[in-house]
Amino acid sequence: MNTRGPRQLLSEVQQAGLCVGCGSCVELCPYFRSHGGKTVMLHDCDLSEGRCHAWCPKTELDLESLAQALWGEAYAPAGVGPCLSVAAAQAGPALGEGVYQGGGVVSALAAAALELGMVDGVVLTGGEALEPTPIVARNLAEIKACTGSKFAAAPTLAALNRTQAAGGERLGVVATPCQGAALAQRGLKPVNQEAPTNPADLVLGLFCNWALDPRGLAAFLASRVELKRIRSMDIPPPPAGVLVVRTDHETLEIPLDEIRGLVPPGCAICPDMTSEWADLSVGMFEGRPGWNTLIVRSEKGRDLAEAALERGWLVLEEMPKSNWEHLDGAAQGKRLRGLRAANQQGLLGTADDPEPKALRVGAQLMAQIEKATGEEA
Amino acid sequence: MAVELKHDPYNLIITGVGGQGNVLASRMLGSVLTSQGLWVTIGETFGASQRGGSVMSHLRLSQQGSWSPQIPSGQAHMVLALEPLEALRVLLKYGNPGSQAIVNDRPVLPYAAITGKAPYPDTGEMREQLAKLTARAWTIPATKTALELGAPIYANIIMLGALASLGELPMNRDDFERELTRSLGPAKVPRNLEAFDLGASMVAA
Amino acid sequence: MSNLDMTPGQRHTVMGNQAICRGALEAGVRVVAGYPGTPSSEIIENLARAADEYGLYVEWSVNEKVSLEVAAAGSLAGMRSLCAMKQNGVNVASDFLLHLAGSGVRAGMVLVHCDDPGALSSVNEGESRHFARMLELPQLEPGDFQEAKDMTKWAFELSEELGQVVMLRSVTRLSHASGGVVAGPLPQGEAKARFEHHGTLLDTNRGPVSSAPVSVKHARQQEKLARAVELFEQSPFNTYQGPEEPELLVITSSICQLYVKEALAMLDAAGRVGVLKLGTTWPLPPKLIQKNLQRCGRIMVVEEVIPFLEENLKILAAEMAAEVGPKEFLAKREGYIPSTGELNPDLVAEALARALDIQYQPRPAEYAALAQAAAPSTDSPRELAFCPGCPHRASFWSLKNALALDGRDGFICGDIGCYAMGARPSNYGILKTLHAMGSGTGLASGFGQLGRFGMDQPVMAVSGDSTFYHAVIPALINAVHQRSPMSLVVLDNSGTAMTGFQPHPGTQNNAMGQPVPPVDLEAVCRTLGAEVTVCDPFDLEATREAALKMLADQSKAKVLILRQLCALSPERKGKKLYDVQVDPDKCLGGQCGCNRFCTRAFGCPGLTWERETGRASIDEVICAGCGVCASVCPAGAITKTERG
Repeated sequence: MNTRGPRQLLSEVQQAGLCVGCGSCVELCPYFRSHGGKTVMLHDCDLSEGRCHAWCPKTELDLESLAQALWGEAYAPAGVGPCLSVAAAQAGPALGEGVYQGGGVVSALAAAALELGMVDGVVLTGGEALEPTPIVARNLAEIKACTGSKFAAAPTLAALNRTQAAGGERLGVVATPCQGAALAQRGLKPVNQEAPTNPADLVLGLFCNWALDPRGLAAFLASRVELKRIRSMDIPPPPAGVLVVRTDHETLEIPLDEIRGLVPPGCAICPDMTSEWADLSVGMFEGRPGWNTLIVRSEKGRDLAEAALERGWLVLEEMPKSNWEHLDGAAQGKRLRGLRAANQQGLLGTADDPEPKALRVGAQLMAQIEKATGEEA
Repeated sequence: MAVELKHDPYNLIITGVGGQGNVLASRMLGSVLTSQGLWVTIGETFGASQRGGSVMSHLRLSQQGSWSPQIPSGQAHMVLALEPLEALRVLLKYGNPGSQAIVNDRPVLPYAAITGKAPYPDTGEMREQLAKLTARAWTIPATKTALELGAPIYANIIMLGALASLGELPMNRDDFERELTRSLGPAKVPRNLEAFDLGASMVAA
Repeated sequence: MSNLDMTPGQRHTVMGNQAICRGALEAGVRVVAGYPGTPSSEIIENLARAADEYGLYVEWSVNEKVSLEVAAAGSLAGMRSLCAMKQNGVNVASDFLLHLAGSGVRAGMVLVHCDDPGALSSVNEGESRHFARMLELPQLEPGDFQEAKDMTKWAFELSEELGQVVMLRSVTRLSHASGGVVAGPLPQGEAKARFEHHGTLLDTNRGPVSSAPVSVKHARQQEKLARAVELFEQSPFNTYQGPEEPELLVITSSICQLYVKEALAMLDAAGRVGVLKLGTTWPLPPKLIQKNLQRCGRIMVVEEVIPFLEENLKILAAEMAAEVGPKEFLAKREGYIPSTGELNPDLVAEALARALDIQYQPRPAEYAALAQAAAPSTDSPRELAFCPGCPHRASFWSLKNALALDGRDGFICGDIGCYAMGARPSNYGILKTLHAMGSGTGLASGFGQLGRFGMDQPVMAVSGDSTFYHAVIPALINAVHQRSPMSLVVLDNSGTAMTGFQPHPGTQNNAMGQPVPPVDLEAVCRTLGAEVTVCDPFDLEATREAALKMLADQSKAKVLILRQLCALSPERKGKKLYDVQVDPDKCLGGQCGCNRFCTRAFGCPGLTWERETGRASIDEVICAGCGVCASVCPAGAITKTERG
């Protein structure tokens, strides 16, 4: 299974700059903690096999095995990954008033899952724009307190780990693609447990192109605005190409080119734009403000979407084919960019490759990426 | 006062781990032997006395005068060890074929052993080495007995009781009773004497 | 009853430091001051305990310089006075000592300075003997316990005769060892203090006291030394033993003379070697030296650490070359005697055996081989660690976590006290600099200024409470005033713990046990302009968060006071706050999710590892019941129950 220990996690991920601060290893044990968006090992742990390493999405993520286990099919279908249906979506009247990024669909689905009793709580990212902190929401008000994009990586899974350790609760997780992958892996890699299980009872995936290093972002913004006054941040749909920062009394537009350097290198090897390892995935709907794209991937996801629609949590519309094609193409583009980047850095391999690898794919895809990498060079 | 010493100077080492009451034991013993008219020189390591380090007191007993507070290598006649690994450590440096030792059997794990970085030697193996490095050695359950008496610190008195009963040094139960009364006050004497007697019984041939 | 009560004419076994105290009492000392420091501390301690009975004034001063000033005031007002400190204390006091040497004293005044060859309880093996030469003061070195008492008494008389401070040097192996001392009588009579200051500046006994005018006073100082030499020529503390014309002359002083005696016995060489033991080591009496140098051509000098006697003897030997002829020295420069670390009978025997061409075997070869074979069992040395229940372990644990979370490779400048052990791996190896009292804060004040040169590591300093009053305050003033972005963590355990829990200006009692107004540490810091946070280090989370907050604020100097009583303090010693237990069913042991976190990472000696069961457990004999490990355990397996 290619599972190694915490010292290897440190060298292969943290020290290699690949950590994106997803929180998968945080609070599983007393050794890993997160502070200010950075995951750190507080004390040396000399185990040769650890859950921290097994479940990290930035090392030994075997995409092919995962796809076979979860989907029963080969990895790298075109574009958005497994998909039962796709639609334009918006929060329904049941969610009520509020400021939502896009169409409020994530909040609506989380609230619906709670109402339906599918889960006892939903792990999501709250806190301030520059200090995202994971929380477990157990009612609508708590969900509403977490709206608004953060753009900085958050150790969301730490809250799951903490709650799981206490035991008993069924949890949903609002997860970025890396966090979704981390959770999916838990169902495959047993360390210290009899039967591996994905601890999340529901995964609501978020589209993601990249996140920003919170400390770097804070330092960058500190030179422009008073950090305490920042109220929200947003990246409007293309072609704007800016990060909009709203403070008490002004609105700042920062060209994305200026902050690209703050994207952790770990994001560059990510092959997943649409959170493929989720039950449902939600993202921006290009060209239609106030709406989201909703991808239903699993049976459980379909049940939730249908019930949510029925109970007024959701409003759905058909997605035009051109939008669908554009989304699929963008997702496939990110996949190939990510895999090629990983390959260039020596971080991509097949299942039987003896060297440590961040990502593993099937032989066929590997050959394809090798070829593309060769052509680029 | 004419008292007999088997060697002059007679070299005795009390060893243990910081916090075990090594210094107290050496002072009581020193005081008892001074009252017998001997010159007593005691060398002590103070720095580690409370902090888990190896601790030694060197006692030199003589009819002639003060000696170096450090016993030369290979010259210990008697080793009183509050901890088995320390007994071995002392014998390696100060032991000789005539050395005798009274050893408390209760290990105190060094930091490296607690953290798992180094093993603590096997008890049986240590006993064998102890036997090889001494003319006579007694391993006694001093801490265990002390705990039964109510406090681990009685281990010191148990060890002194064992030493006194060997007849190696010019001192007896009465001398100790006087010293206990003087240094601890009469209230604490009975329990300490009980410890002393238990110690004596542990090495009785 | 004080342990200085001794029957005159009778022999007692006492510590070297006790013997020094007895000597001072026999000399009629009245005023005593010092600052704690191993191996000197018991001198002030014992005299403080005897203060009431013998009518003394005894204080633990804020630092060594002030203690010397307090003692000097006694002397200037006609009271015999004594000041005691360890070797580095002399460095601190030396500024005043230089001037006092120039002004001279009135009633007998003795500075007892205790060196620590081998650094048994120090982070240096500094040599304070050299101050005697540098500051032109007479120096005495007792060679055994009896001399420790007798020379102390004589030092007062000498000081009065010369009108000069007398330095009396001890070492750890004398101060902390015990041996036979025959007590002398105690003086009778009352003394009345009065400072005479109406005479002229040049009137030694009635004028104002100053080291100026230098042209006159410096010359007088040297006359005093010349007089000291005359007295030393006749001193009974300088002795020669051995054949009239030995093969080898050993010149030695201090406790080394016992090592020489023992080594000669070990080698059975007393008939071949002469031993000149010097009790007055500065200035050296040249006539006595000349007489003895004439005995033979080979001279071995046995002394610890830096060659002090050796160099001074070589100068004399050169000066008197015409009379004594050429000499072959066998000492440090010649590689016979090491110049670092302490000596012992074995090392001296080795040097003598080499010089005399003797084969020495302490024990039979077969036994040595057995010992060699058993050696691996004792491979793991006992690392010094904080005591069970020590607040420093909890403090450093939280600081370590805070520094790691902060993630900028920040570091801590250490200081002198128990917490200096934080530099050891067994205490997380968390201190990255370690120098003199107060230096941690001064260094941090400097490191804090280096951000302008691109240094992005945050810096902290730690200090104990006693160290804070002793030497940290000026450094903190500097950091606040220069707006250095550093954090000072004061580890306040309410006493001078390292040296045996002496009081300091922050405590409510003085050396003599009388109530005194404590100087409020927190108020001092606030008044200096530092932002102050106070935490209980046993609250690991609050302490970590407070430290993290301080690390994040890079705008100014801040102070975090971590206040919790020392585990050995009279209030806590032997009393467990909690009964602590490990539930073996909950303990995760070596599993992923714990990996022996409490025993492997936290490392309190009160916790042990049961190899058979693969579980942690509490060692009842060692555990001090602080309960901190309960908040360290990730599985909630360690529970604490408050004791009634």
